[in-house]
Amino acid sequence: MHAALIGQLTIDGLLVGGVYALSALGLNVIFGVMRIVNLAHGEFVIGAALLAAVLFERWHANLFVVLPLAFVLAFGLGALIQRAFLRRLPEDLASAETTSLLMTFGLSYFFVGAWLAFFSGNFRSVPYLTGAWTIGPFSIAQARLVAFVASGIIAVLLAMLLRYTALGRSIRATSQNLQGALACGVDVERVRTLSFALGTAIAAASGCLLILIFTVNPETGANVTLASFAVIALGGLGNYAGTLVGAAVIGLAVSFTGYFATAQVAQAAPYVLFILVLLVRPAGILGKSGA
Amino acid sequence: MSAPLLEIENVSRAFGGVRALDGVSLRVNQGEILCIIGPNGAGKTTLFNIISGVMRPSSGDVRFQGESIVRWPPQRIAAAGIARTYQIARPFVRLCVRDNVAVGALVRERTLERARCAAQEILESVGLAALADRPAGTLTLTQRKRLEVARALALRPKLLLLDEVMAGLTPTEIDAMGDFIEQLQERGIAAIGGVEHVMRVVMRISHRIVVLDFGKKIADGTPAEIAADPRVGEAYFGTSLDGAGASSPTKGQS
Amino acid sequence: MRGRALIAFIIVVTILALVPPFLNGYARSLLYITVLYVALAYAWNVISGYAGYLSFGQVTFFGLGAYTTAISVVRGHLPWWEGALLGGLISAALAVPLGYLMLRLRGAFFALGMLGLAQTLQVVANSWQLTGGGAGLFLPPGSNALPVYYWTLVIGLLTFAATLFIDRSAFGLRLQALREDEQVASTLGVHVTTTKVWAFVISAIVPGLLGGGYAWYLTYVEPVSAFATRFDLQAVAMTILGGIGTVWGPLIGGVLMSQVSEMLAAQYPQAYLMSFGGLVVVLLVFLPRGIAPAVSAALARRRARGAQGHQ
Ligand SMILES: Nc1ncnc2c1ncn2[C@@H]1O[C@H](COP(=O)(O)OP(=O)(O)OP(=O)(O)O)[C@@H](O)[C@H]1O
Ligand SMILES: [Mg+2]
Repeated sequence: MHAALIGQLTIDGLLVGGVYALSALGLNVIFGVMRIVNLAHGEFVIGAALLAAVLFERWHANLFVVLPLAFVLAFGLGALIQRAFLRRLPEDLASAETTSLLMTFGLSYFFVGAWLAFFSGNFRSVPYLTGAWTIGPFSIAQARLVAFVASGIIAVLLAMLLRYTALGRSIRATSQNLQGALACGVDVERVRTLSFALGTAIAAASGCLLILIFTVNPETGANVTLASFAVIALGGLGNYAGTLVGAAVIGLAVSFTGYFATAQVAQAAPYVLFILVLLVRPAGILGKSGA
Repeated sequence: MSAPLLEIENVSRAFGGVRALDGVSLRVNQGEILCIIGPNGAGKTTLFNIISGVMRPSSGDVRFQGESIVRWPPQRIAAAGIARTYQIARPFVRLCVRDNVAVGALVRERTLERARCAAQEILESVGLAALADRPAGTLTLTQRKRLEVARALALRPKLLLLDEVMAGLTPTEIDAMGDFIEQLQERGIAAIGGVEHVMRVVMRISHRIVVLDFGKKIADGTPAEIAADPRVGEAYFGTSLDGAGASSPTKGQS
Repeated sequence: MRGRALIAFIIVVTILALVPPFLNGYARSLLYITVLYVALAYAWNVISGYAGYLSFGQVTFFGLGAYTTAISVVRGHLPWWEGALLGGLISAALAVPLGYLMLRLRGAFFALGMLGLAQTLQVVANSWQLTGGGAGLFLPPGSNALPVYYWTLVIGLLTFAATLFIDRSAFGLRLQALREDEQVASTLGVHVTTTKVWAFVISAIVPGLLGGGYAWYLTYVEPVSAFATRFDLQAVAMTILGGIGTVWGPLIGGVLMSQVSEMLAAQYPQAYLMSFGGLVVVLLVFLPRGIAPAVSAALARRRARGAQGHQ
């Protein structure tokens, strides 16, 4: 095996890892504020991906038109879901975690069905940026690079939003200390709605970028949820720096297994890694143990 | 005959940089009521966590009836006769009050029916019998505190660890709880209570008092000795203990 | 009252046992599917309802049972029910170490861990020669559905009996205690790990035994349908509708929904997924405890009124 091949696979893996990181960030925003792991996350990613694919097929719609559109639509959808359902979860039935998992599990299948109805079960992709740049022995696929860079930009925008805006401060306050946030007069209900909407919108954005690289159909959402969850599980729930490390690891795992085994095995790779790591370190690679 | 029931030897536990317990040693005799007092964050709860097996010490040993129990899992320690309550009551909210207590009784009783019978008796002794069929989630704070004690008693322990069972109670309720703890002795149960304030009752019911401060044991003696110890007054009360006759305001749940 | 309930139970079981030979193939398969889904819902209810560990991948054991049977029949020339029994044994044997490992994870970690396990086994079945790869394995056609029905009925009844036992035994109380708070349960003397591993084994052995019958009934297995997470969606929806963590919940939900489920899943998969997923969401908002607790509350009220009337 050549060093060049390893280098190539590493580049491919890290570039894909950028998109995983973005998707995982969306999951993490929701988890941070609401303590909910949104099992329907992958369906939002895939929904946007399929929307992008269809718009490209029909009208050759440009990514930079589709992405904001998907972002806004998903934002509205997320706000609606939070207002109509998640907010009304009963509190006495079981732990909040149990009911929220059951509900987002139900939501995920609802959307698999909905996407099947809208988009059919066909696998789709966006043959938009098919070229590659060559640097020395390596070739860098345009699609991967664009997806990586765009993910980076969105992630930076998100970080700025969290850091410099009033909403961002409320989100961070609520994530860190719910009681404290309440005491400081933060409208926690509103913050929850906006964070769920934001997390969903980020999922949609990452979907628009993922479709540049992968071929998907409505039933691949569960794999995306697993991969995104694996990313934050590896990095530690709520740990943003850890998310980047986790995403790189998952990206590399997918890229290497995809080459040396089959694309199918590559889909199971994030999961296998996730289990192995959790069994050794239940709080994730960078998480605090015993938390 | 008078081998100590529980021996804690040089137990330390750190959380990152915080030394929650720092070389604490103490003994509890059969049937003794020992109060561990100390300000917020002194390490009382940490000590109970270690004795009951939900946490391991960084170093040191805990012996119960002569046997080292630091490596035992919590259920084995419970079965051996050490029961505990939690500072912030943690009832099984969806189970009825009787079943909350029956869980512990199962350690001694073979069948669920008999465990429920035993539970009912204990509920009567703590005054919760009328609520036996209610889901525990519907209890008030005072009732939850009593349920904590009832559940622990269901294990028929030789040693009972009471973590701030008086916090949040009214003065009348505090007296009632004090009387209740005094009666434990008649049943041959030793009790260790972690207490932050409520000095009036502590002085009345304790056989012995241990004072913790920043994870270190700074005093150990009879209530009279402790009241006279100047270090205790300084570290803990800021002044002398003379004012302890009046009940100081109790701290709510944190 | 208890006597009357017992008599009603015996009558129902007798009907379920004696009637099928006189039914046509269609009605018989409807009955088989109902009994199968009810049993699977009962199995799910043990680990997720009583023990509180939501599993979205119990289908792992169903697929394992189906494949074990298919391989035993096709490659080992065993009778199907020996294969199915073997599937149950393998599931149980696997559930012990798996339970020790996976039940250290909680909440979303466990739920997604199980979901991923099903996905992974699907990949394995797809890529392995022994399992026939993506095409799967074909069993001898023309098999009679009746033995499969009886097999499923017996296992379903055993699962129901196990649930009754759990609901009324010390084991069940320990299970519910650890569902509420593991640490407190352990300081009250509950051996938490052993208790929950047992629950996991019960929830694994049942689908393990039933998967083989299903393979024989369909006369083939292939990776996608054998490890389809829709079986878990179904168990979730049915159990919540009937009442999660209750004795009667899976029966009520299963009987009400099996037929709809079977019809929709085959003909309108989109509508199937939307309605079952949507149902879970709507139920959690409007009827989170399900039907069974509502019914038993009404019965208790009637009984109380009756008792007053007698005085
Ligand atoms: N699980 C933990 N992780 C990190 N730090 C801890 C943990 N448990 C306790 N501590 C720290 O150890 C110190 C002792 O805490 P502990 O709860 O034992 O005190 P306490 O005497 O029970 O106080 P209180 O009156 O508040 O109940 C505190 O500084 C606390 O912050
Ligand atoms: Mg404390």
